[in-house]
Amino acid sequence: MTERTLYEKYGGFSKVSKIVLSFYTTLLDSDEIGPFFDDVDMSRIVDHQTKFIATLLGGPASYTDKQLRHLHSHLEISHAHFDELETVLRRTLLEHGMAADDVDVVATEFGNRRPLIVG
Amino acid sequence: MTIEAINEQLLRAIGVGVALLDRQTFQFSFSNDTFDEWFSSESQPGQLQQLFPDLDVNEMQNGLADSGRYTSEIRFKRKRRTLVIALDFTAANEGVLVLVCQNITRIKELESMIDSYSMMVERNTREIKREKEQVEKLLLNIMPRSVYEEYKTFGVVTPQLYDPVSVLMLDFVGFTEMVASQDPSVTVTELNDIYSAFDRIGEQFGCERIKTIGDAYITVAGLPDPTPDHAKAVANTAIRFVRYLTRRNLSHPHQWQCRIGLSSGPVVGSVVGIQKYVYDIFGPAVNLATRLQEFSDPMEISVQHEVADVLKDQFDLEKIGSRTIRGFGAREVWQLSDRN
Repeated sequence: MTERTLYEKYGGFSKVSKIVLSFYTTLLDSDEIGPFFDDVDMSRIVDHQTKFIATLLGGPASYTDKQLRHLHSHLEISHAHFDELETVLRRTLLEHGMAADDVDVVATEFGNRRPLIVG
Repeated sequence: MTIEAINEQLLRAIGVGVALLDRQTFQFSFSNDTFDEWFSSESQPGQLQQLFPDLDVNEMQNGLADSGRYTSEIRFKRKRRTLVIALDFTAANEGVLVLVCQNITRIKELESMIDSYSMMVERNTREIKREKEQVEKLLLNIMPRSVYEEYKTFGVVTPQLYDPVSVLMLDFVGFTEMVASQDPSVTVTELNDIYSAFDRIGEQFGCERIKTIGDAYITVAGLPDPTPDHAKAVANTAIRFVRYLTRRNLSHPHQWQCRIGLSSGPVVGSVVGIQKYVYDIFGPAVNLATRLQEFSDPMEISVQHEVADVLKDQFDLEKIGSRTIRGFGAREVWQLSDRN
């Protein structure tokens, strides 16, 4: 049998949707990262966050490296921004009851994409 | 505290924005705390259009005139988060308009998320469907559709007797030497071309290709659906195979010569194997076709007596005579030629 993804382990869409919304709120509140979303339409941000979390947890979406690079190419994202996002991500996942070692797995997945996003 | 005072406290504190306006001038006469927090940073709100410049006042007037109610939605940013507020105007008595505002931001965000999610799921569903079709196509290549349906429904295939069917067995002359002397990849590529052509020819006459083993090609008529013309079908197919090869040899450096055997009889068809499925047929008709094929000279077709009997009126058949066939004893063997 195929291995169960974190997405399934943590209750599929019904649970992950709560993570996404809380992540979305925290992101916009953050003065480090929030400004990147100043002029972006709400539904687009939500769409990105849904896919972002689903991708990291092994859900139904999967951003390809090429897409990720393209989506972030016009933004000036520094390592500090990326680190801050990781902090927010870790905190959100822990708040929603994800086990620490699973959070590490997600953070590693996230970290792997650093070269596509920063720069 | 008086009831009036409690009412006012409640009205001010609830999480729904409430305001009263003059029906004619749209001047605000009251607004509660929630309303003020959302809409008016300074002092008292003045006039409706000043506060909501995007609101279609004519539309609102029409709605109020028709049903006494009008609903709308406004969006604005609060520290870069888009807030969505539902506005609900109700015409009350004495020329007063009641405006009730609800924060539906979360609902809108959820809607966006569900849109996003359902799009992902729908895309995945399409992909899964495509993959399923691919798998189905592959399985249909190795077994007849009816057998595949049985396999899909029950997970197993019961061996089934087909009686009678006609079997065409074809083998190439000198294939082993050809593989040894030529570039094997070229040989296999050509073999693939030829088999593909055979498949198309067989299909035209209602034959179902069962398998190929190296340079041996087996196709059968009358399976999985019985056909009265099964002998004719393999005879027509065999003649076309020879014609195709003859024509092909005219324009290709590699000469492909075949031997063909035709026989009729019962066969049992089944899926064999658990991990590596092969649909195969077994029975005397298969063995006899193989033996008869061995009797053929290059580019000739040997036919079982019983088959020849059926075909005699419509095909060009010549009796070769009695031959001893391993496992079958002495049998009359015929040769089928292309009349054209």
